[in-house]
Amino acid sequence: MGQIEWAMWANEQALASGLILITGGIVATAGQFTQWYLGAYSIAAGVLVCLLEYPRGKRTKGSTMERCGQKYLTRVVKLFGPLTRNYYIRAFLHLGLAVPAGFLLATILGTACLAIASGIYLLAAIRGEQWSPIEPKPKERPQIGGTIKQPPSNPPPRPPAEARKKPSEEAAGIPTGGPQENPMPVNDEVV
Amino acid sequence: MAVSWRSWLANEGVKHLCLLIWVSLNVLLFWKTFLLYNQGPEYHYLHQMLGLGLCLSRASASVLNLNCSLILLPMCRTLLAYLRGSQKVPSRRTRRLLDKSRTFHITCGVTICIFSGVHVAAHLVNALNFSVNYREDFVELNAARYREEVGGLFPGLTGVCMVLVLFLMITASTYAIRVSNYDIFWYTHNLFFVFYMLLMLHVSGGLLKYQTNLDTHPPGCINLNGTHFQNTHLPEHLSDHFHESFPGGFSKPDELTQNTFVKICMEEPRFQANFPQTWLWISGPLCLYCAERLYRCIRSNKPVTIISVTSHPSDVMEIRMVKENFKARPGQYIILHCPSVSALENHPFTLTMCPTETKATFGVHLKIVGDWTERFRDLLLPPSSQDSEILPFIQSRNYPKLYIDGPFGSPFEESLNYEVSLCVAGGIGVTPFASILNTLLDDWKPYKLRRLYFIWVCRDIQSFHWFADLLCVLYNKFWQENRPDYVNIQLYLSQTDGIQKIIGEKYQALNSRLFIGRPRWKLLFDEIAKCNRGKTVGVFCCGPNSISKILHKLSNRNNSYGTRFEYNKESFS
Repeated sequence: MGQIEWAMWANEQALASGLILITGGIVATAGQFTQWYLGAYSIAAGVLVCLLEYPRGKRTKGSTMERCGQKYLTRVVKLFGPLTRNYYIRAFLHLGLAVPAGFLLATILGTACLAIASGIYLLAAIRGEQWSPIEPKPKERPQIGGTIKQPPSNPPPRPPAEARKKPSEEAAGIPTGGPQENPMPVNDEVV
Repeated sequence: MAVSWRSWLANEGVKHLCLLIWVSLNVLLFWKTFLLYNQGPEYHYLHQMLGLGLCLSRASASVLNLNCSLILLPMCRTLLAYLRGSQKVPSRRTRRLLDKSRTFHITCGVTICIFSGVHVAAHLVNALNFSVNYREDFVELNAARYREEVGGLFPGLTGVCMVLVLFLMITASTYAIRVSNYDIFWYTHNLFFVFYMLLMLHVSGGLLKYQTNLDTHPPGCINLNGTHFQNTHLPEHLSDHFHESFPGGFSKPDELTQNTFVKICMEEPRFQANFPQTWLWISGPLCLYCAERLYRCIRSNKPVTIISVTSHPSDVMEIRMVKENFKARPGQYIILHCPSVSALENHPFTLTMCPTETKATFGVHLKIVGDWTERFRDLLLPPSSQDSEILPFIQSRNYPKLYIDGPFGSPFEESLNYEVSLCVAGGIGVTPFASILNTLLDDWKPYKLRRLYFIWVCRDIQSFHWFADLLCVLYNKFWQENRPDYVNIQLYLSQTDGIQKIIGEKYQALNSRLFIGRPRWKLLFDEIAKCNRGKTVGVFCCGPNSISKILHKLSNRNNSYGTRFEYNKESFS
């Protein structure tokens, strides 16, 4: 139990609650309930919650599955910095958004669900979890020729490395090594 | 590539047929109930009061009845394992349907979710209409006791609680949560019992009533005493007729027969609540499921005796144990429960060795990933001796108590029932096939299998040591019995650092069958098709999803040798 990441579950719950709020709001405004303006509020609150919760946060251990197309919203959510990173703020925000919708029968379910999600976010915040955006990994370009340091100075057949090693006082001016003598001097042209 | 219709039908046909039957059942129920409440005379007044909301809520309720009862059936795993093994389900085609039980459970769950939404929305509109269309004529029909009251408290309250429970269960059951935090999914899913209890209470409220005295009070009839039950939707000529005939005197009794325009009421309408049909729908499956859980609880009450614990390279541990009256078929899996490690967690592991008539020992191989397996390993193999293979004597007396539940069936049991089988394993996914190989080592003659292609793909060459001995012994046995082509082994090392290219000096049979790189599936399928013309080959895969998808696609493809590939898949999480 000690390794459960509650934030992920709270995220799913908040997203589902947002959808429930939107549905309840549509039923309330279309069915022309007496306090239909609360229905309209509920639709707006639901949309806001959905937009905030759509980008999934990164798990501390292991890889995270991204939601389809979440990278655009990730950029927007990242802009708010600590407001969206901190789960305490999210918990209280959800609680605050949920309360007005609780006064209308059609949206009361949305309130209850969002309140539960806010409770789980509070639990996640107490355990020190944080929202971190899922960044796309920069593609590593393969370095062409990065491992080639120095081309061989003799054409094949080449004697083994030990025979190619020359005593240091002879190495100074003579470009060749070993029994092969090159007609033209060979340089290392690759940096 | 062209899809072979024969292969497609064999692989996908029965599955889609069952899906079609289920969808038509749902549509039929929805339609029938909708029409009943829309046009049925016993609901005439209720329909007048509530309108479309009534029909939608009742129709979605009947679909919910069906799905709440069906959803429990795929989870009766002991029953399914019994059906798989017994002669009661003779056809292999029907047995393969049992592989899809989890997918069916998820489909029913999604349907419950959607129709609960419809049901709740329709009832919200009903609650509004009960209040707005309140009439003193039908006090007992209305859930509200006066205008402006929102009626139906008890069913409403249980309904809201059910939706909250459903909300918790569904949000924890998404694929992302199951893959990352399986615990949350498991613990919340056990709330289903609360859901069913609330469901039984919800339907006992008796909120929607039907009219009992249709013969003495046909709906839409005229009451001579004053209040008339004529609804505002009666067409024009009927209301004219009414004004003509009423001053003239009383109508004769034979005018009450059905072809008259105007009917006279003999008495007030009487209403009675429906019998809760839901109890009939869900009691059967719920009792079955409870009985199965009880049986599993009793069966797993006795702990097993651990005989030996071995540590293998690449973080794998093998446990061999005995338990009396334990019988298992190759390919089945068990669930381990060790209270010393965790009081609540259970983990499934495939049996790598099944008990036979001569030998009662059975075994599992566990890969150490995650905290439960790590703690389990630390209890069984103290850290000091994990690297060495020699266990000091005192260890054997201090094993923790281990309980097992099972065995449960899996699609891999079918591999012995095909004449030719292709088994593809990825990494630790080799465990179900290890039990098959152990069974073949014991005695291969009673089974239908005559040729087995065994492909094992690993990332690390040390992993092959888990079953290298088994493979070599099996190979030698078939060589001695002059059946060298019974088992065709191909081992693939998918990632290599180029240093170690052989498994071990003594595994020469395996070294010569080791390939570096990934298998080329298309060529493999072509080769198998060519060597087994006209036969039906069973394809089994236990490994990463990417391999599984490729194999599925290739199994549905056409080949010019008339060979059919039937794809059998286990779905894990």
